[in-house]
Amino acid sequence: MIGALQFATDGFRVVYALLATLLWVMTLLFSKQYFYRHKHLTRYFVFYFVTYAAVLGVFFAADLLTLFLFFEIMSFTSYVWVAQEETEAALRASKTYLAVAVIGGLSMLMGIFMLDHAFGTLMISELRSYATAFLEGTGGNFGNRQTYLYVAAALLTVGFGGKAGVFPLHIWLPKAHPAAPAPASALLSGMLTKCGIFGMLLVNCHLLFADATWGKVILILGTITMVSGAVSALFSMDIKRILACSSVSQIGFITLGAGMIAIMGGHGIALQGTVYHMVNHTLLKLVLFLAAGVVYMNLHSLDLNKIRGYGRKHPFLAVAVAFGGLGLAGIPGFNGYISKTLLHESLVEHMHHLEAQGLHSEIGMFKTVEVLFLVAGGLTLAYMLKLFVAIFVEKGDGEEKEKKSSMTILSGIAVCGSAILLPVLGLTPNVIFAKIGHAAEKFLCPAEVLAGETHNIHWLAFENLKGAAISVIIGIVVYVLVVRGMLMKKENGRKVYVNRIPEWFDLEESVYRPVVLVALPFVLAFFSRILDTLIDGVSGLLKATVFAPRKRKMSIWVGTKVTHTLGTAMDGIIAVLNKTLFHNHPITKSFVSVFAVSEMEARQTFSLITGSVSFGLLLAALGLAITLIYLLF
Amino acid sequence: MGREILLLLQILFPVIAGCLLFVFARRNNRSIQNMYVVTILGIEVILVLCSCLSKEITVELFCLTPSIRLVLCNDGLSGLFGILVVSVWLLVGIYSLRYLKETRKPVMFYGFYLIALGVLEGLSLAGNLVSFYLFYEWMTLMTVPFVFYNRTGESIRASRKYLFYSVAGASFALAGIFLLAGNAEGLYFAKGALNENANVTEVLLASLLLIIGFGTKAGMFPMHGWLPTAHPVAPAPASAVLSGVITKAGVLGIIRSLYYVIGAEYLAGTYVQTVFLTLALVTVFMGSMLAYKEKVLKKRLAYSTVSQVSYVLFGLALFTPAGLVAALLHMVFHSVIKNGLFLFAGTVIHETGEERVEDLRGMGKYMPVTFWCFTFASLALVGIPPMSGFVSKWYLAKGAMEASVGAFSYIGPAVLLISALLTAGYLLSITADGFFPGKDFVDATPEPKEGHVSMVIPCGIFAVAALLLGIFAEPLVEFVTTLGTGLL
Repeated sequence: MIGALQFATDGFRVVYALLATLLWVMTLLFSKQYFYRHKHLTRYFVFYFVTYAAVLGVFFAADLLTLFLFFEIMSFTSYVWVAQEETEAALRASKTYLAVAVIGGLSMLMGIFMLDHAFGTLMISELRSYATAFLEGTGGNFGNRQTYLYVAAALLTVGFGGKAGVFPLHIWLPKAHPAAPAPASALLSGMLTKCGIFGMLLVNCHLLFADATWGKVILILGTITMVSGAVSALFSMDIKRILACSSVSQIGFITLGAGMIAIMGGHGIALQGTVYHMVNHTLLKLVLFLAAGVVYMNLHSLDLNKIRGYGRKHPFLAVAVAFGGLGLAGIPGFNGYISKTLLHESLVEHMHHLEAQGLHSEIGMFKTVEVLFLVAGGLTLAYMLKLFVAIFVEKGDGEEKEKKSSMTILSGIAVCGSAILLPVLGLTPNVIFAKIGHAAEKFLCPAEVLAGETHNIHWLAFENLKGAAISVIIGIVVYVLVVRGMLMKKENGRKVYVNRIPEWFDLEESVYRPVVLVALPFVLAFFSRILDTLIDGVSGLLKATVFAPRKRKMSIWVGTKVTHTLGTAMDGIIAVLNKTLFHNHPITKSFVSVFAVSEMEARQTFSLITGSVSFGLLLAALGLAITLIYLLF
Repeated sequence: MGREILLLLQILFPVIAGCLLFVFARRNNRSIQNMYVVTILGIEVILVLCSCLSKEITVELFCLTPSIRLVLCNDGLSGLFGILVVSVWLLVGIYSLRYLKETRKPVMFYGFYLIALGVLEGLSLAGNLVSFYLFYEWMTLMTVPFVFYNRTGESIRASRKYLFYSVAGASFALAGIFLLAGNAEGLYFAKGALNENANVTEVLLASLLLIIGFGTKAGMFPMHGWLPTAHPVAPAPASAVLSGVITKAGVLGIIRSLYYVIGAEYLAGTYVQTVFLTLALVTVFMGSMLAYKEKVLKKRLAYSTVSQVSYVLFGLALFTPAGLVAALLHMVFHSVIKNGLFLFAGTVIHETGEERVEDLRGMGKYMPVTFWCFTFASLALVGIPPMSGFVSKWYLAKGAMEASVGAFSYIGPAVLLISALLTAGYLLSITADGFFPGKDFVDATPEPKEGHVSMVIPCGIFAVAALLLGIFAEPLVEFVTTLGTGLL
């Protein structure tokens, strides 16, 4: 038997299960209004609840196989969300989503095969001890054991990272989120990506605990994701796309944190920062995507130019989005500040640590990451400002003539209720967050590392506020210079947002699709086709040659063999010429007979000549001449 | 004496029933004819169950010469194969009643259908290699009419190709049997049938010939060419059994000869194993790749069979108990799944007349049950847990990694997963387009309807079985594990 489904529970898993439940409840409340008069709702809600069950299964799975099972179910059922609207974009996005899910799932499965082969167990709680024992052991067909473990971890991370949206597998996010209905986008971004992060943390903290080499790889991937996501969010025109790219960017922050956990030995502020940011991002994206849903269900558009000014008469919505934006940008007082400060602090602390050890060569890398971290934080503020200003400050097409309510009470509860949580969490960092942090440490770190670790972060210390301040300054500068300057232009006397992303600047369209869908299949199918037709080809060849029925000997009616061959060849050429050059005046005569006749004439002439007296005289003269020449020399 | 008769009856009953059908069938009594076919199939199910549950016995029918004896034996493997064959035969038989209703001469189909069932039961009961070979050849001959049933030029050409490949394959196998005969007394299917002083070179060469020979039926590269030609032209029920069962006869041949007569330990680590593994993996990949590129639905499924049966062969090529267990599991699962898929194809073709995949867009709306069956079967074939395909894939990968086959330990699972990816590509895209045709989809006229109940239910049973066999795989796994460990 492969193994029974096994579940485990502890503080951190429960926290995430509760968060998932919160998200599902809030989106359900919101769904009533959003899906008013939509088609195919049964389908949507069936998969909505199945996915909920699958997500809980992922968080409560005690072994990797159970986790994989629910992860796959989750991927496939959530696929229906993306395809739900059945627009062309939605179908395309859903295919991308499915492709990433299937590729990721299979890669994960290979990793699980390898771990199962190496350890004989897949229990998450035992992975760490087995991994240590495995590295110390010898023998078996494992090759280099450390490499073996890295390969397995990498394969698992491809699967989890693909779901989380880590570069370079983030491609599905910016397509799928805008295409899905808003409640589904909130769940995709808030919860499904976190399932991926959850898996990455398992790899990071359970399989390869405190492995600095691995940590650096993850750190670099996280940094790339963070910056690229933020930049594309800044350049986007569609609010849901902005939010989706922002998700990529925030996942980058979390991944960076995951890398720092491994680099710093698995404990303390990096871990707290990572987990807090996970939780924060879940809640933030819930609020923001639902708010986007409010805009969409009233205006049926997501384009910034068309929805401009919509929110000027909707103060509640404005507050909710403002809370979300401030939280995302990490402004003190909101939840994002806590997690980003911790992440930043972990970078700074590690640099101090390196300096104390005298490892100056490595500091440069972390310095770069820190700078990029602050820049990405600034960009976060900039794109949220862009979004907020467009909807709630500027006047424009989206503004309604008379005031009407945008949300029903249920939707209002969903949006505003979720938004209230953000400052609450931000203002009480030592109450709720601390508990989550403890639970996470217990889950992710071995007991011996935890002993004697205490942290007291002064949230309002100058050092910590400085980081936030730098980000805010960068954000405002970028907003003024880039967004107002580069990304807007005057049209009919007023400024509108323009899309400055070139067509080809799309990893999916310009690299993945051509390579994976066209080039690779072409080459591989070419070779497969050769193999496929091998025996058929050989038998065909044999049939045409060795086993061909013997041709009946053609009796030559006129002329000899030579003239016949020449004539047939000539006829062939003529036939071709008739079809092409002499199309209008084809040559009709057969060269077989022409040649035969001329050959006959030639032969007759020859026999005439050889039979005559003058021919004899000619030969005699020729003989005489040769004799004379011979005598002369 | 009763049990001996039972074994014989299991073979002769459908054969005789089939012959009688040819003699007495009239054109105007279709309903009686249908009743007759279903009754025969039902009785045969009971017969097979009885002989499986009864104690293992060996029956010697007669001997041509002292060294060539016809022997029947109902051991565990024959039980597994026999039940698989007869249950598939029953479901597909019920399905075909409706499917073939409008065709010209269903009698020809049913006659050969029943005879082929008897021959296949004989194949599963064969107690030595010579008897196996006898039933194997007869199986080929009795299934050729399936291929040319439609009597178009294309189908007749295809049946000729099927015959050519099968006979060529069988003669390879026969050559192998000749070589082996000198080294194994009587060629009985029992552990340790090989003589102690067997000539190693000869035995290895014989096993290679047997692999290629029986591999032909199993659709293994390089002799797989008949599959993608024969399947699309045969009527859907015929393609279903060709793909789901007849290919497995080749697998059975390989198990019988390599595992029973020669012995897996004998071959592990030899060049034969390397060749076998390579051929199997090449086929797995090639089949999937071509299926991915193929646009004709039934041809796509045929290439898929090429690929999937080689999963089974890959398991066999490991020559370990785990590999054998995985192979047997996948043999059963693939049979169930592929029958479901072909019946889906049949229903779609029967109801809409569309044969190409791109024409199936949006059909999920009109035939939801059929498309759901297809979806479940596809997910199972890709190997998404907890479907059955996942179980066998798991054991295959585990078996490959544990076997000492060098780099194949890792190349094997990797190829299987890449092939699974392609499988997802060529099957799930049909589901996706079927259910999500897009906003611009224009309703088909006339609106296709869900197939007749007698077509939907067999298809549904296969789809549900594809799911349930995965969730409740334990009894089957235990059964094949006992079988595997008894052998090795």
